[in-house]
Amino acid sequence: MIDSQQASAALNDINDVVQRVRQSRIYQNASLIIVMWGVLVFVGYLANFTWPPQGYTIWAVVDLIGIAGSIAIAAFSGIGPGAGAFALRLLVAFLLFIAFGIFCSAVLGHFGPRQMLVFWPLFTMLFYALAGLWFGYAFIVIALCSSALIVTAYFYAGPALLLWMAVVHGGALVLGGLWMRRI
Amino acid sequence: MAELDEIIHQPLRLRIMAALNALPVATGLEFARLKKLTGATDGNLGAHIETLARAGYVAVDKAFFGKKPQTTVTATAAGRGAFARHVATLQEIIAGKQP
Repeated sequence: MIDSQQASAALNDINDVVQRVRQSRIYQNASLIIVMWGVLVFVGYLANFTWPPQGYTIWAVVDLIGIAGSIAIAAFSGIGPGAGAFALRLLVAFLLFIAFGIFCSAVLGHFGPRQMLVFWPLFTMLFYALAGLWFGYAFIVIALCSSALIVTAYFYAGPALLLWMAVVHGGALVLGGLWMRRI
Repeated sequence: MAELDEIIHQPLRLRIMAALNALPVATGLEFARLKKLTGATDGNLGAHIETLARAGYVAVDKAFFGKKPQTTVTATAAGRGAFARHVATLQEIIAGKQP
């Protein structure tokens, strides 16, 4: 038989492993969503570059596919009995995020196309960074790296901003998502 | 008086069972991920998984993805039950209900 100190150490060990498993599952599921968004925005920027007048339509389609895909991944990710409720909360979060973003960029700010192009990804990265405070440092690393690349692109990319954004935003999300799966 | 499960009580096996028990029922962990989560080495992990499998606490599924072998370990119902009892016993010891 063991004493209470040894029992306590064993329970701490169990809690440590359980915490690691939860973290790992969050990263596994989130990485799928992040890689999906990386591919989507990459295609979105290239499409926007190819057909500039169709920008709003292209991004509406990209967002709809991305939101539907994110919710599907959340719902079928094997989180367990709470997956449905989590997917619903994710949908509400997306709607609030979009409503607030439109209010800031179109009603309060009257942003031009160039500002719009960097506002949405930076706004998204803010949420990644906030998520990182609860769900793991990897979200913060991805948010900081992507934001730095996006701001650099805004100031230095000139007329090739869309192509730069395809690489630095789409690429950073894909690489960040793949990195998240390995940690 | 409840007894500690000697198979589960070994530190690495305890960590393996804790990791598998943290997953939804019938969900397993791939060998490489389990190794990372428990901080075990290849040989060590393999030997302890075998002990747990012999006791009927885990199921080991070996499959090939292309040419790459993949081993998935899942806690069985018996394993989950034994782990729950083991944790309850640990809590009783801490609470002073056991000598």
